[in-house]
Amino acid sequence: MGTPRFRSLASSLVRRTVLVAIVCAVLAAAVQATFAVREERDAFERALHNIAQTNVPLLSVSLWDIEPEAIRRQLKEIASQPEIAYVRLSERTGHSFEAGNEQLRDAVSPRVLAIPYPDGREGSIGTVEISANPQTLYRHVMEKVAILVVGYAIFALVLCALIALMLRIEVEHPMRHLARFTNELTPDRLTMPLMLSRPPRPWRDEIDLVADGFRKLQDGIHSHVANLDAQVASRTAQLQAALDEIRALTVTDPLTGCFNRRHLDSRLAEETLRCHRSGYPLAVLLADLDHFKSVNDSLGHAAGDSVLRGVADVFKDAMRRRLDWVARFGGEEFVIVLPDTDIGRAAAIAERLRQLVEAARLHHAGHPIRVTASFGVAECLESDDAASLLARADAMLYRAKETGRNKVVWEASERV
Amino acid sequence: MLGGMRAFLLVVGLAACAAAWPQSVVFINPGKSDEVYWVTAAHAMESAARDLGMKLEVLYAERDHTRPIEFARELASRPAARRPDFAIVSNDYATGAEMLKVLDAAGIKTFFAYSTIPVGERAATGGPREKHKGWLGSLEPHAEDAGYLTARALIATARKAGARAGDGRLHMIAIAGDRTTPSSIRRNEGMQRAVAEAGDAVVDQVVYAGWARDKAAEQAEWLFARYPQATMVWAGNDLMAFGAIEAYGKRGGVAGKGAFFSGVNTSKEAMDALRDGKLAALAGGHFICGAWAVVMLYDYSHGRDFRDEGLELDRTMFASFDAASAAVFLERYGENFDRVGFRRFSKVLNPKLKRYDFDFGQLLR
Repeated sequence: MGTPRFRSLASSLVRRTVLVAIVCAVLAAAVQATFAVREERDAFERALHNIAQTNVPLLSVSLWDIEPEAIRRQLKEIASQPEIAYVRLSERTGHSFEAGNEQLRDAVSPRVLAIPYPDGREGSIGTVEISANPQTLYRHVMEKVAILVVGYAIFALVLCALIALMLRIEVEHPMRHLARFTNELTPDRLTMPLMLSRPPRPWRDEIDLVADGFRKLQDGIHSHVANLDAQVASRTAQLQAALDEIRALTVTDPLTGCFNRRHLDSRLAEETLRCHRSGYPLAVLLADLDHFKSVNDSLGHAAGDSVLRGVADVFKDAMRRRLDWVARFGGEEFVIVLPDTDIGRAAAIAERLRQLVEAARLHHAGHPIRVTASFGVAECLESDDAASLLARADAMLYRAKETGRNKVVWEASERV
Repeated sequence: MLGGMRAFLLVVGLAACAAAWPQSVVFINPGKSDEVYWVTAAHAMESAARDLGMKLEVLYAERDHTRPIEFARELASRPAARRPDFAIVSNDYATGAEMLKVLDAAGIKTFFAYSTIPVGERAATGGPREKHKGWLGSLEPHAEDAGYLTARALIATARKAGARAGDGRLHMIAIAGDRTTPSSIRRNEGMQRAVAEAGDAVVDQVVYAGWARDKAAEQAEWLFARYPQATMVWAGNDLMAFGAIEAYGKRGGVAGKGAFFSGVNTSKEAMDALRDGKLAALAGGHFICGAWAVVMLYDYSHGRDFRDEGLELDRTMFASFDAASAAVFLERYGENFDRVGFRRFSKVLNPKLKRYDFDFGQLLR
């Protein structure tokens, strides 16, 4: 089933008003017609009475004096009364006269009046038979009904016009406006105020109540939507923070705060590619704490961890903040990546770091601990990738370990 | 000229007369120019005027109630030289007073013939030679005679025929002229007097047919049905009698056998009916009244006033006709009245004559 077709309030109301007016008109017309019939019957009775009072004595004299013209004139006069259709006079010796429309004679059963002798003697000189006029009755009734129906029609018409006008102004316009407004309403236009174009008036009606209710609803929805936005922003910030934390955890070594081995692998690969693309030098230092196993063994793993943290702090403090970075390669090994740094400068930096470690005053549980570190230095060559670069640095570290520890070995020093 | 256009105008030529200049008379005739009674009246007047050397003009009002007054005004408006010396008028339709006023103001002497202004209606006019000096006088046929003579003859005929009803009486139906004209009322009175005198006769009903034949026929038809015992029908004139005869014929009756009829007037048809026995009785001759008025005016203009006999004369004129007198009438006066010889009735021309005799009967002897 489809949508029921649209019918305006005014149309419905007008239809019902017309229906009620028709019913009322029919009822009133029936009542009027009844009265008219009674009135007409009374008029006929009155006419009969008048005839009996005035015409019958005259007819009596005219009949007695044998004045046919006078008789005809009087019958004509009687028949000319609107209530009377036909009149027929019969004289005792068989003469008869008539006037009016004979066809209407038997429409209503005629009334018969006896005509007495003029000298008052017994018996009657004739009779006069009078038929009521159904056409007058009909016309009379129709006139009354017509006037009534026309009156009702005018009344209904004016009433309907008034209803239609009032509804159009008072209800239809504001309602259609409201409907259009609602249809055009979108989330971003939610704050657009509802303005009904109605003339100012000193009272409020149902339409105002509806408009008020709608405005309230609009405000409610609007504040509800605004509240949702704030919640989303708050949750997003929390999520971002958690995400940042997770990301930090994935690239950082939890003990030392340096980058972890996984971050080293991916970032060093990027650094080598950039070195090849730009032509700027790149150097890596591979550092390893000397005799770290004995620290662990003698002072405990907690002390070992303190040493690792302390050395990492030494490295991080000495770095160029924005370019250089440190990763824990595993165990007590660290990789220090130095972009835009050639082998000579890298060797110098390594030497300075070796001195800083040697000089560092490390503690654990109130005990001072002294450590040293060995460094392998390599510079990225055109044929290098991250692995080969690290392998060459590791080779240099191995040489430093072999040749006495607490020292820096680089490839140039190897060749020299 | 109004009178010339619609009225029948007749100027009677000069005849030997005593006056140096012929006296002129206008008769304002209330009847129609084809109505037997009034045409006969005019013919008799013409004969009288011719005999006496007077000039007569007859204006027919054609039974139009306003016409007589129009004629009077027309006469009054004529230049003095062409105005008549005398006007003979009748008071039919009560036009007399107005005519008298107009004519007297114009200096035309007025004489009422046939009917005069009733005594009860003279508040404005007064009597002759009172208020209006020009109102010379009047002559009326004694109308009662007509009713009386015919009714008496009718009753005698019926009695002779033995036409009595179950109650042994002779029943009469009366068809009168109208209820208002004095001559009509007088005729009815005459009829009633004859019935009363008879003793064995009775009037069942009097109806009024307005002098008309058709209406009388219709009323007679009703009356025969209403009074099957009636054997006499008295009528105020001849035409109404013929109407009643017709109605009786339609019922299968023969006038003069089962029922008897009477009428008034001397028409040819009435005379024929009388001769044939359809009419049992007839009275007439009063048409001569106008001619007698001419004779009186002739005498007046020649110095013999009628004052000594009275200014207002109501004289016997009617003659009762039977079959024989009807034949005489038709023979003598069927064409005109030249055989009357009006000069012999003038007092001026017959100094021995002391009193006018206006009875029509003398003209049939």
